[in-house]
Amino acid sequence: MKDLVTTALDAAASAGSTYADARVVLTSEESISVRTGRVEGIESSESLGIGIRVIADGAWGFASTSALTPDAIRTAARQAVAIARASAITAAAPVRLSPVGVFDDVWRGPCEIDPFKIPLEEKLALLLAADEGLRTQELVTVTSASLGFIKVEKVFGSSEGSMIEQSYVESSAGIVAYALGDGEVLPRSYPNSHGGQSVQGGWEAILKLDLIGNAPRVAEEAAALVSAIPCPATTTTVILDASQIALQVHESVGHPTELDRVLGDEAAFAGTSFVQLGDLGSLRYGSKHVSVVADATVPGSLGSFGYDDEGVPAQRDYIVHEGLFTGFQSSREAAAAIGRASNGCARADGWNRIPLVRMTTLSLEPGDWSFDDLIADTDDGIYFETNSSWSIDDRRLNFQFACEIGWEIKGGKLGRMIKNPNYTGITPKFWAGCDAVCSAEHWQVWGVPNCGKGEPMQVAHVAHGASPARFRDIQVGVGR
Amino acid sequence: MRISEDQARELAARAVALTPADEAEAVVAANDAALTRFANNRIHQNVAEEDTTVSVRAVLGKRTGVASTNRLDDAALKACCESAVAAARVAPEDAEYPGLPKPAQIERIERVCASTQAFDAEARAKAAAAIIEQSRFRGLSAAGTVARVDYAVAIANSHGVDAAMGVTDVKATVLSAGTDGGSGWASWLGCDAAQFAPEALGDEAAMLAQRSDDPGSLEPGAYAVVLAPEAVSDVLDFLGYLGFGAQAVAEKASFIAGHEGELLLSELITLTENALSAETVGLTFDFEGSPKRRTPLVEAGVVRGPVTDSYWAAKLGVPNTGHALPAPNPYGPLPMNLELAAGKTSVDEMIASVERGLYVTRFHYVNVEDPVRVTLTGMTRDGTFLIENGRLTQPVKNIRFTQSAVDALSDVRAVGDRRVLVGPEEGGANLTPALLLGSWNVTGQTR
Repeated sequence: MKDLVTTALDAAASAGSTYADARVVLTSEESISVRTGRVEGIESSESLGIGIRVIADGAWGFASTSALTPDAIRTAARQAVAIARASAITAAAPVRLSPVGVFDDVWRGPCEIDPFKIPLEEKLALLLAADEGLRTQELVTVTSASLGFIKVEKVFGSSEGSMIEQSYVESSAGIVAYALGDGEVLPRSYPNSHGGQSVQGGWEAILKLDLIGNAPRVAEEAAALVSAIPCPATTTTVILDASQIALQVHESVGHPTELDRVLGDEAAFAGTSFVQLGDLGSLRYGSKHVSVVADATVPGSLGSFGYDDEGVPAQRDYIVHEGLFTGFQSSREAAAAIGRASNGCARADGWNRIPLVRMTTLSLEPGDWSFDDLIADTDDGIYFETNSSWSIDDRRLNFQFACEIGWEIKGGKLGRMIKNPNYTGITPKFWAGCDAVCSAEHWQVWGVPNCGKGEPMQVAHVAHGASPARFRDIQVGVGR
Repeated sequence: MRISEDQARELAARAVALTPADEAEAVVAANDAALTRFANNRIHQNVAEEDTTVSVRAVLGKRTGVASTNRLDDAALKACCESAVAAARVAPEDAEYPGLPKPAQIERIERVCASTQAFDAEARAKAAAAIIEQSRFRGLSAAGTVARVDYAVAIANSHGVDAAMGVTDVKATVLSAGTDGGSGWASWLGCDAAQFAPEALGDEAAMLAQRSDDPGSLEPGAYAVVLAPEAVSDVLDFLGYLGFGAQAVAEKASFIAGHEGELLLSELITLTENALSAETVGLTFDFEGSPKRRTPLVEAGVVRGPVTDSYWAAKLGVPNTGHALPAPNPYGPLPMNLELAAGKTSVDEMIASVERGLYVTRFHYVNVEDPVRVTLTGMTRDGTFLIENGRLTQPVKNIRFTQSAVDALSDVRAVGDRRVLVGPEEGGANLTPALLLGSWNVTGQTR
C-alpha cells in the first residue's frame, strides 16, 4: 500500500501540485440479517482503492480510482491536479492549511476475537436464536436480528512527509420486535435502534450484548406498547436515556460545532449553524451541568483512531465546558481560517471521498446522580428510551425527536408506559434546561454508524458517551 | 472513463461462469462520477471517482449467499464468487425462495448523452461560476453543486438474463443566501448536459433569496399550503418507501395493506411508478435484470400497487413489477421513479385561491414518526412564505411540521400544470407538479 501512496504523491508533484496527500483504503465487510425467522441475507464485500487530494493553483482537486496499477494511479493524480486548476477559476484566496507534524507511525484498534474468523454457522445460530426469542408474543408479527463486521486497513501519506498505517475492526449487532397494533406498528429495539450497538472491537463485543437473553424482554415490551397510553401534549420535565442523549448530543452539539458548517461549506446540503465564529468562549450553550468533550482516544469507540485522514494525531478537546462554548471541531483548512491548529476531526468515508470535519467520540460528561435517585427526585415528567425518529433544522436550532417507549414519572416513580413519545425544542434553551446528569456508573459510549454529510454523501462512523439526564420545561406530544 | 456496457456485460457473464452453484447472478456497476461543489461564492471541493464493483448471488437449492468486490483480477473475482457460494452453503433453506428470474424483454431507452460524458472539470467549473455570478452581483452568497455521473450496470444470471444499460445524469443545485435571513433554492436534473442552463438556475435561486429576506414569525396551527415540486417530491419519496413496497404491505406496515382498490387519497391524485418515462432518469431494469414495469400505485385516489420483485411476486402470487434493490436488502422492492399526474392549475392560480396559507419551496431533514400513516416531521427551508388574500406576502422563518402524508394527500385542492424532475443523488427521481393541500400541520418554528 505504501508504494501506491508514494506513486501517487510523486505523480501529483510532477503534475504541479503544491500539496498532495493520498490514502489507500481496503474495507472488508460482512453482514448477516434474519427477519421473522427467515435468513434475509448473508453478504460479504470488499472495496479497495486510492484517493488523491491535491492543491494546485491555490485550489483543491481530488481524484480516486479502484484501478491500482501505477499507470492508473498516475492518471488519477494528474486528473486531481487538472481538477484543482479548474477549481481555481472561482477561487478567491489560496487554500491554507494549519501546520501539522510529520509522522511515520502504525496504529491498530482493539480487537480480541477476530469476527471474520468466527464461522458463519455460529453467527447464524446466534441470530436465529435471538430472533426466535423475539417471536414469543402474539402481538409481535415482525422481528429482525442483525450482525455486521467491518475491517478497515488504510495508509495515508502526504507530500509533507507523513506515512501512517492504521487498521481497525468494527462490530455491530441489534434486534428489533415489531408489534402490530390497531393501524400502527410499534418497534422495540435492543441494545439500540437503527442497527443496534456498534463498537471498535471484535466478536467479544457481540457476546457481551447477550442478544438471546434480552430478546424475550424486548418482545414483551413491544407487545405492551400496543396497549400503552399515547404521549400527552404538554410541557413537562423529561429524562432521556443514555442512547437518546447520545443522539441529542450528535444533532444539537456535534453538527453545529463543526467548523466547516460554521464557515458555510455545507450550506447547500446539511446547512449551516446557529453558532458563529465570535461565539467561541462567550456563548452560553447550556447549563453548568453540560460539558461536552470531543475525544478520539476513547478505547473501543467508533470515533477513535490514531490519526485523522489528514494525518493529524487523535486529540481530546472540550467543545462545551460547564455550559460555555469553548471549541470547534476542525480540519486543517477550517482551523487555518480562524488561525488555529486542527484538533484532528477530518475523516473520510473510504478511498473515494475527501476528508470532511466529522465528529469523533463526542460525549456528554457524566454528572453525579444515580438513575434511581434522579427518578425519585422528579415529581412529574416522562422518561424516554431508545430513539425512533430525529429531525433538526438547517441551523441546528429547532429539533424534534421521537422515541420507541416512555414511562410517566409521577411522585418520583415510573408509572404507565407511553407509546411513541416525542419532544421538541430549541438547542440552547434545551441544554440550558439540563439540571441533572447521571454518574459514570450509567455512562456508556454509543456508536452512531450512519452520520450523513457532504456531497457526494459520506456516512461517518462516530460515537457519543452519555448517561441519562434531566431537562426542564420541554414540549412533548407534538402533533399528537 | 468507466468500462463500456459491453465490457460490463462480459464481466457479469464471467462472474456467473466462475460461480459453482445451482443458480448464479452477477451485478456489475461501473461508475465514473465527478462533483464540483461551491460555497461562499467559490469552488471549495471538487472530486472525481472511478469504480467498478461486481456483486455475486449464489444459490444452492433454496439457500442463497451474496459477495461483492471491486478487485477485478482473476483471483479476486474467483474468491468473491466462492465467498458467495460459501455463504449459501451455510444459509438455512428458504422454502419460499422462487429461484432467480428468467429473461424477459427489456425496453431499450437511450439515456447516455455525449455532452454529459464530456462535461469535464473545466466545464463544470464554468457552470459553477455562472451560477455563482447570479448571486455575487446581487450581493448574495451561493452554495451548491454541479455533478455529473456516467454509469453502466450489467446483470447476468445462469438462466440467461443478460441486461445492460448506460446512463448519464447531470444534477445541479444552488442555495443563494441573503444577508438578512433570506435564502433561495433551485435545482436541475437531467440526462443531457447540453440542456442545463446554469445562469437561469442561479438567477432563480437568487431571486427567491432576495424575496425571502427578513422572515417573520408564524403561529403553529393548520394551514392551507402550496408545496413546490421539490417539497412534493420529499412527500412522495416517503409515501413510496413506506407505502408501496410489497414487503411493507405484506407485513401490514403500509397504509394500503388490506385496502387495495379503495379510495384512500384525493381523487386528484394519480401516482405511477414509471422508470420508462421519457422524462425520467435511471435504469429500465431492476437489480435482478427484470424489466421495470409501469405500475399504477394510485388512480384518482384509489390505491393500487405495490411494486414487487421476484421473491415478493412469488410470495404474494402477483406479477413481478421489476423493482428489486441490490440483494440482500432489508426493505424489499421499492419504487424509484414516481410520477404524479399533472393537473390544470398554475402555481400562481393556486396562490391566488388561498385566503391564508403557506408557500413552501422545499423541506429539510424529514423523518418518520408513524410509518403506517406516513406521519412525517421536518423543517422548511430556502423560501417559505405566508399567503394572504391570494398573494405571497411575508416570508416566514423556517417552520416545523408534523403531518401525516396520507391525511394531507386526502385533501388536495389543486394539482400543478407543470412537472419538474426532482432527484436524489442517484438511482431514481420523481416527476412531480406542485400541490395545493387543504391542511398542513405547523407544529413549531426556528428562531
